[in-house]
Amino acid sequence: MAAINRITRPMKRNLGRRAQFAHAALVLVAVASNLSAQASKASEYQVKAAYLANFSKFVAWPANLAKSESFNICVLGQDPFGAALDAAVAGETVNRVPLAVKRISKPQDALDCRVLFISSSEESQWKDILAALKMSSVLTVSDMREFTQRGGIVQFVVDGNRVRFEVNLAATAVPGLTLSSELLKLAVTVRRNP
Amino acid sequence: MRKIRDYSIKQKLTVMNMLVSGVTLLLACAAFGAYELTTFRTTIVRNLSVQAQIVGANSASALLFNDAQSAEKTLSALKAAPMILSGGIYTLAGEALAMYWRGAAGRALPLPPMPAGETEQHWFTGKELILVRSIVFQGKVLGTVYIRSDLQEMNDRLVRYAGIVVAVLSLSCLVAFLLSTTLQRASTQPLLKLAETARIVSRDKEYSVRAPTTDNHDEVGLLIESFNEMLVQIQERDTELQTSREQLEQRVTQRTAELDATNKELEAFTYSVAHDLRAPLRHIQGFSDILVESLGPQLVPEIKKHLDHIIEGTQRMGGLIDDLLSLARIGRQEPRLQVTGLNSIVQEVLRDLKTETEGRDIQWQVGDLPFVDCDPGLIRQVFYNLLSNAAKYSRPRNPAVIEIGQMAVEGQLVNFVRDNGVGFNMKYANKLFGVFQRLHRREDFEGTGVGLATVQRIIHKHGGRIWAEAELDKGATFFFSLANATANGQT
Repeated sequence: MAAINRITRPMKRNLGRRAQFAHAALVLVAVASNLSAQASKASEYQVKAAYLANFSKFVAWPANLAKSESFNICVLGQDPFGAALDAAVAGETVNRVPLAVKRISKPQDALDCRVLFISSSEESQWKDILAALKMSSVLTVSDMREFTQRGGIVQFVVDGNRVRFEVNLAATAVPGLTLSSELLKLAVTVRRNP
Repeated sequence: MRKIRDYSIKQKLTVMNMLVSGVTLLLACAAFGAYELTTFRTTIVRNLSVQAQIVGANSASALLFNDAQSAEKTLSALKAAPMILSGGIYTLAGEALAMYWRGAAGRALPLPPMPAGETEQHWFTGKELILVRSIVFQGKVLGTVYIRSDLQEMNDRLVRYAGIVVAVLSLSCLVAFLLSTTLQRASTQPLLKLAETARIVSRDKEYSVRAPTTDNHDEVGLLIESFNEMLVQIQERDTELQTSREQLEQRVTQRTAELDATNKELEAFTYSVAHDLRAPLRHIQGFSDILVESLGPQLVPEIKKHLDHIIEGTQRMGGLIDDLLSLARIGRQEPRLQVTGLNSIVQEVLRDLKTETEGRDIQWQVGDLPFVDCDPGLIRQVFYNLLSNAAKYSRPRNPAVIEIGQMAVEGQLVNFVRDNGVGFNMKYANKLFGVFQRLHRREDFEGTGVGLATVQRIIHKHGGRIWAEAELDKGATFFFSLANATANGQT
């Protein structure tokens, strides 16, 4: 957020009104589908792993969170990433805190997680899982269908051969997360109402 | 073209003013122009850099999530800046994620290499400015923004600026010209008037004029004052000079009158002395003759010889007195001028000299002589003296050659008498025309020493002059002129 502010301030000073509008339009307009034919050489879960790591750069967690030694990206259930996720977080940091991968089997273990990927294997228990996570500030991500409709925050969708995502903004209020407009502008859909 | 130093002061001042103001303005314009150019370049680079930063910041997520569409959208914001020709967002690998083209789309340009350690670099390439900037997100370089901008605006601005410079320069030159012609009048007008006055003074020798004074207490004012003061002094000097010249003339006239009177007195005295000497001389001569006659043969030969000496002395003294009287008479009387042919006078004199030169071989060469306005009796004496002298002093020559003629000397027609006689030393030429002055011994050549003095006096009476040139043993030439006889005509 701070990084974005730093850039918008000189923009307001240096660009004319028209440019400002253009920028605002860019930020607000949600990108429609119709993807460019980007041939993704990496496998679907390699891309998803990279996205998981990248999400942490565009989300602000509540400031009163207890400090921890690592910024945990957790995988609940059956891990589809394999080594790809570990490779994606290697060397990455958020606010100088190193990223780490933690694989868990119960939603109760997700207390020190910042990002939680809920594997499709857990689809049947989605209600219990989301209920268990109600009090924790965690960005829930999954590629199970209708995840955002059900109360999840980010849902991966595959559009052609490209991996994209949907965002449910309404679900960020309770955990106190703030999603950057930069992230929102890339989302296929942004749900604002519950 | 005339040289600048031949211009009048007015023109010089104008040229100077125009040059100074023109050069000053030109320098100022050049300085401002250079400043403007650098400022504009800096501004244009900064603006482009800001655009690149915005695009970079807004395309960080697109790069991270590999979203070309979003990147293109971000890039399309560059439309708002009409001078941007094209732009691009490149991944770390140097592949174009998205491109933007103002006009027709072209192919993605290869990214210029970014120097190590730099986050931004720009190049001016004639009509374009290319700027690349690394996209840094949370301390990590994600890719590169590339922006190519048109410099048309800057070039238009420069052309406009040059136009304004030319307009301002010509307007200022015009104003400077008008101002300097108006302002310089105050300083040059008095100077021009002073120059005019100086010209009048030097041309007309009129010292009563004054240069018009001015109220300006500058150098020109001072010059005019000094000039006028100088004129006053010159006028005073002039007056003094005039007065003293008049006084001098008066004094000269007075002195001349006194001198004339004295001269006349002296001549009267000479005449009376000479005249009075005749009577006692006649007594001496008469009684000596009586003694010789009455004593006759009784005379002791020695006494007879003494008496002969006495008689001879009285005769010579008689001659001297005659000459003196004639000299005095010439001084007392004014020449009676009438047109006379000099040739006829010369012929008369030659007849008279016939007896004197009996038995001698003399070649007389008489040239063409003019008719002149003169006293024929006095001029006859002149020729008689000069010709008999020539005959006398050429006695040792056989044959003697005597030439009488006319020639031009320094534009004036002069008559001359030349002989091939004994001549004289030019050292004594100044004594030649003095009374009783002789350059030869009486034993060699008889004479009283009055002849040439008489000749000079006659020539002077006619307003002419006489002089002689000679060399010892090689003959002498006597030249004389008569008044107003010039080489062109004869008087």
